Amino acid sequence: MKEVIATIKDMSKAFPTGPSQFWALKHINLQFVRGEFSGFVGPSGSGKTTLLNILGSLDGPTEGEVEVLGANVHQLSQKAASKLRSEHIGFIFQTYNLLPVYNVYENVEFPLLLLKMDSAKRDKMVKEAIAWVGLSDKIKSRPAQLSGGQCQRVAIARAMVKKPELVLADEPTANLDTENSHHILDTMARLNQELGTTFIFSTHDEKVIKYLKRVIRLVDGEVASDDLASGI
Amino acid sequence: MILRLAFRNIVANGWRSITNMLVLSVVLIVIVWMQAMYFSWIRLAETQQIDWEYAKGMLRVRSYDANDPFSWEDSHAPLSAQMQGAVQQGELMPVLLSPASIYPQGRLMSAMLKGIPHDQNLVKLPAKILNPQGRDMIPVLMGTVMARSTRLSKGDVFSIRVKDINGSFNAVDAIVEDVIEIPAVTADIGSIWMDLATLREVKAMEDETTYLVMADAGLKSLEQGEFKHIDKNEYFADLYQMLKNERFQQALLYGLLLLLAMLAVFDTQALAVFRRRREIGTLAALGFTRGKISLLFTVEGALYMLFAGGLSAVLGFPLFWYFAKVGFKLPDSYDEFGIQGFSEPIRFVYPMGEILVIFALILLLTIWVSWIPTRQISRMNPVDALRGKVN
Repeated sequence: MKEVIATIKDMSKAFPTGPSQFWALKHINLQFVRGEFSGFVGPSGSGKTTLLNILGSLDGPTEGEVEVLGANVHQLSQKAASKLRSEHIGFIFQTYNLLPVYNVYENVEFPLLLLKMDSAKRDKMVKEAIAWVGLSDKIKSRPAQLSGGQCQRVAIARAMVKKPELVLADEPTANLDTENSHHILDTMARLNQELGTTFIFSTHDEKVIKYLKRVIRLVDGEVASDDLASGI
Repeated sequence: MILRLAFRNIVANGWRSITNMLVLSVVLIVIVWMQAMYFSWIRLAETQQIDWEYAKGMLRVRSYDANDPFSWEDSHAPLSAQMQGAVQQGELMPVLLSPASIYPQGRLMSAMLKGIPHDQNLVKLPAKILNPQGRDMIPVLMGTVMARSTRLSKGDVFSIRVKDINGSFNAVDAIVEDVIEIPAVTADIGSIWMDLATLREVKAMEDETTYLVMADAGLKSLEQGEFKHIDKNEYFADLYQMLKNERFQQALLYGLLLLLAMLAVFDTQALAVFRRRREIGTLAALGFTRGKISLLFTVEGALYMLFAGGLSAVLGFPLFWYFAKVGFKLPDSYDEFGIQGFSEPIRFVYPMGEILVIFALILLLTIWVSWIPTRQISRMNPVDALRGKVN
């Protein structure tokens, strides 16, 4: 039996909208096991990113419980949440969110600096991560000198370099063309296979959906379907 | 890691960073210049007065009040036997002051006659030329400011009318033996120097003295009877008071300059927190705590100041060097204002201790000003920051 790494129990999330509240997520119940390659799928405003942010401890639920890697997200202090993210969770964003003042090497190295790793080990891991995404020849390039696909590959390397247990990817192919999207998805699928890292996506891109082994459809903040068999 | 990122951000900030550093460095240069100016001015004024008038200390009759001309006529007393012994050994040098009227080219003017032993060597005044031996007229010496105001020059003869101890007025003729540059303004303005014995004779005041100049600071133990030890604080009271007033104006100017510089830093930092919201969200997602993110912005502010310090050293060096070598000189007409220390160029000496303290204070102020806008980060939701939303 596979190890459960995240559990969502009757979780709802509301945002204040003037005097009333808008319920972005309603009574969500989900469980994720180690090594999954799954994703939240749905139209804009269905709550995909909100759910991803809560799993990444960037936000908390309004009601219910969310447990990620043994930590109750609602009860985590700001510092403990930061520690959880820096040690165990990798993020990939739609807009890459690379640090523009750093080159490829330094961007990928950044999460390891937070872990206070010795420099020799760090260097080996950074070069290895850059090799995974095929950018060893661009090690000194700044984000501004790279294409969108290359930037997203750097973002993947940055998310993967510390070998996290969970990677959360928010619309990772939204700004990429078909060729680059497939390249990115192939890379992530390979890393999922090779390293056993759990990937959770938020997407409405059909190309991504085809890669997912588990598709959770969200409609108006509720789980409309949880299809373990729809992926490739 | 934070230092490296902060440094890179500053470099990437381009002209905005350069403008900030320039503003800060100009403020630093002005502050260092002014600080050196005041420090060097006071040092020079003290040195000049010490060299030409005060030496290692002064014992002065209690009745003398520098601010009350009516007290001067009677400000003299005989020396005790102990003091006379010290005078003979060259440890004390007596000076007698006497208000007088002078008649240069028939004009009536007031002056202070100052009698000094012509064989003294405690102060720089070249008293040897005041030796009256074999002279028909009394040789006197004056500074250039006094010569200008009396329109007397070397070799001129003029009459002096002075009241003696019995209240009778005596008139004598004097010859200007020399006109010299006297940097100590109190030894120049209004002063006519002559031999002590001659002045005592004219005033019929054998052994009377107004003040004694000390060859050794330890001689203050001779303070007794009519004579009171005048310490440096009392002697330089006017100078220090003037400095105090100047310091107030200086503080106002520093405050104004710093306000402008801090506004520039604050503005840059506030804009940076607003403009870099997405970066703040990314850092939070990567595991930076809010404290660390605030620290990053604060370090950037501190780096501005540190770089500005370096820039000030480079940009300010020619200026600092010029004032250290050539000095700062007020136009000649300022001599007559009687401001101590301005009679010769002030060669700047840089009080490194004071400058470092000022630099440290400005650095702390910059850190504080850089930190203020980062308080917004602690209220920022990382999710909103990632979306580039303003709270």
